[in-house]
Amino acid sequence: MRNTLLAIAWFAAAAVANGKPLDIPVTYYRLPNGLKVVVSEAHAAPAVTVAVYYGVGFRVEPKGRTGFAHLFEHMMFQGSANVKKEEHARMVETNGGNFNGSTNLDYTNYYETLPSDRVEKALWLEADRMRSLDVSPENLKNQQAVVSEEIRVNVLNQPYALFEWLDLWQNANQNWANAHNFYGDLTDLEAAKVEDVRDFFRTYYAPNNAVLAIVGDVDTGNVRQLVDKYFADIPLQSVPEHADVSEPRQTKEKRVKQTDKLANLPALAIGYHLPPMDSPDYAPIALLSLILQGDDGSRLYQRLVKDKALALDWSGGINSTLGNEFDYDGPMLITSRTTYKPGHSGDEIVKEVDAVLADVREHGVTKRELANAKTQLRSNLYDQLESSNGRAHILATLALFHDNPAGVNKLLEPFEQVTQEQVQAAAKRWLVPENRTIIDRVPAEVTK
Amino acid sequence: MKRLIFILCFALGASAATWPKRIEKKLDNGLTVVLVPMPNVPKITADLIFLTRNGATAQLAARVANEGTATRTSKELKDELRAIGGQLSIAADRDATTINASSLSEHAPKLFELVSDVAQHASFPKEEVDLAKQNLAGEIEEQRSVPDFLANERLEKALFGSHPYGFVVPDAKQIAAATREQLRAFAAANYVPNNATLIIVGDLEPDAALSEVRKAFGSWKKGTLVKGELPALPKRDKRQIYFINRPGSVQSVITMGTTAPPRKSADYLALRTADAIAGGAFMSRLNHNLREAKGYTYGAQSAAILWRSAGQVTANASVRNEVTGPALLEMLYELDRMRVSPVTKEELDAAKTFSTGNLSLEMETQRGAANRIATIYTYQLPPDFLETFNDKLAALTVEDIQRAAAKYFDTYRSAIVIVGDWAAVKDQVIPFGDVTLY
Repeated sequence: MRNTLLAIAWFAAAAVANGKPLDIPVTYYRLPNGLKVVVSEAHAAPAVTVAVYYGVGFRVEPKGRTGFAHLFEHMMFQGSANVKKEEHARMVETNGGNFNGSTNLDYTNYYETLPSDRVEKALWLEADRMRSLDVSPENLKNQQAVVSEEIRVNVLNQPYALFEWLDLWQNANQNWANAHNFYGDLTDLEAAKVEDVRDFFRTYYAPNNAVLAIVGDVDTGNVRQLVDKYFADIPLQSVPEHADVSEPRQTKEKRVKQTDKLANLPALAIGYHLPPMDSPDYAPIALLSLILQGDDGSRLYQRLVKDKALALDWSGGINSTLGNEFDYDGPMLITSRTTYKPGHSGDEIVKEVDAVLADVREHGVTKRELANAKTQLRSNLYDQLESSNGRAHILATLALFHDNPAGVNKLLEPFEQVTQEQVQAAAKRWLVPENRTIIDRVPAEVTK
Repeated sequence: MKRLIFILCFALGASAATWPKRIEKKLDNGLTVVLVPMPNVPKITADLIFLTRNGATAQLAARVANEGTATRTSKELKDELRAIGGQLSIAADRDATTINASSLSEHAPKLFELVSDVAQHASFPKEEVDLAKQNLAGEIEEQRSVPDFLANERLEKALFGSHPYGFVVPDAKQIAAATREQLRAFAAANYVPNNATLIIVGDLEPDAALSEVRKAFGSWKKGTLVKGELPALPKRDKRQIYFINRPGSVQSVITMGTTAPPRKSADYLALRTADAIAGGAFMSRLNHNLREAKGYTYGAQSAAILWRSAGQVTANASVRNEVTGPALLEMLYELDRMRVSPVTKEELDAAKTFSTGNLSLEMETQRGAANRIATIYTYQLPPDFLETFNDKLAALTVEDIQRAAAKYFDTYRSAIVIVGDWAAVKDQVIPFGDVTLY
């Protein structure tokens, strides 16, 4: 049994190693109630991930209710018709698994990873809360407190307070959908009522607004029967049209100065608006992103941290706080973040960034840099596809946003074709000062 | 009928956990090589682990070792890594300096060559050493604004004192005093094959991989190892609170702990399981009480972490200022309850299936498998640690758990560290014991 499994897995991977295209098996179909289902067998480890991705995120939460999509995510662990509060966690963990949920710009996801013989338990749990979320005033009050502590521990009690994400998005964007506080103002969170939670559930948590992904050491035929058994009779609902989340093109550079009472050192964040994913400039910019700031060999790191010794670190990328190049559906920023050395100014940092970008706009990138970026992208994608959870994530977001999870096997193709000229042209159009927002965040002058 | 067969088949599969196959070889120069075929993606992970003692020199040597070799500049090294879809980083911790590297598996020979070059021929260029000293000092200053860093640093100092585990980061003097020659001498003494384990996990064929490993590492010269005695752990005869005043804090970051035995101790599995019940899982007592019942925190955890020569049991939670006292009370209550009353059979069974399942899930990724397999070598565990884990866990009784808890969940001799706004919360803290204010 064990040898057979290993042999099959070895063969599958060996085919890819020889430079052949990816060959991830994908079964994709829709239940009559509109639920998109993705099943992908992977037998290298005796594990399975069951994930449900709902097509709702920060961008469409109600005005005056900042942070609500995330608060709601917490409520999905507070019980349903047949699962009591805390029983979800207990059931997954006593079956040897782990679980989590997260709220993102355009989706909210829930997953369990378990030994693969426990797949039925996970499907039953996910179906029960999709069908029958149970919201009580006591549980809502408890999770309002928990989420407030989450915001304190991750934002309010920390130096920099996630400014490279929360503040940068609020300053760079104009449409409220993209420009509000995604984690949420504490007063908005406290104002949430049980009715709000029930309405949100009825509005967005419909089978026809969701993807169910099952990835791992399972049999597709068996899984399909279980999916029918637990999900087929969850009623379809009417889901609102996609809200307008579009952003007008930025025409003037924005510079913001902030002070930070908890920080010891100054920091700076930059965000450029990106072309949409279906633009011909998208793949070139994504590769350029790796050339500029993919790791400590990248141009910005080398210039700012090594050559000029102005910065302590340099990091960034596309959707770099929350996800990756593939898992969103709306306006996006390419961002950078650095903590720089005292005695220097934000303007000195920006001047060096401008020198690096001007060089790309004028002279392009080298053939070797571009080839290496393509190799890095491929290597990064394999990392994401390695665990059943990572694989489920890519497949579920492809199903949710593009109705095409099998597209995973062709995901790299548009990048493979990119030329040096296209990278240079894209840099000229997008990586220009009028398309960016900069926040310089310096320690507040306080007597300690 | 068909479904019945499937279920039966899965049940059989579950009863015998499948652990990755491990092939171990010792080269003539003393290098231990462990090969683990795991062809889940066409990548390969290679960890080269040297047993080292932590300190300013170990930290700086690790930072600079991949910033240039006898034949490659720092930039050349990074460009070659990019060309193979690779990464290479080095870090020193309590017991070891580890080179973590990975790449596309088709370039495994090149990856081995780069790891070997860094291990054998790191040149520690003067300008790289100077920059690393400057940046390390800067990063530490940055860290000192992060409450969790401050809490952890104080706890380690309180628990381990002058034992090397009490070292967290060097002070400004130590950084300033470090020289290129010291780093070179450290590398020459410690980065040697007879002090190393090379763990390679991934899309590999063992015979071919071993032959590539011999090519890259075979001619590496043995070193002379110096065995040093470790100082004894400090003894604590009463509870002590260490409060780090951080004005403007909107939460109290609480972490408390005691020392524990080394990983190879016979108490390890009982202690690990007691920890799972107290605070090592989401369903655990601490998280249930402080998060789901009371809403004091985003999460309350405990962690029994055991290393090569000692360990620690800690519990932590970050709570809003107003509930600092009540949160301390509940944390102490939950830890005391572990010693005073037996856990239920149901809790013990849940902790066992939680642990066995999640250990098997670590083997989903090359990184997860490499990290777990490394513990066998670094912490001197029995070679069949994985294979016997489930059976040994199954044998644990409620009494075993209470015995382990009684020994190591000792709140009366614990160090309690709180980072917060002293003026705002001091009245809630003072009733819990003697306070040293920082």
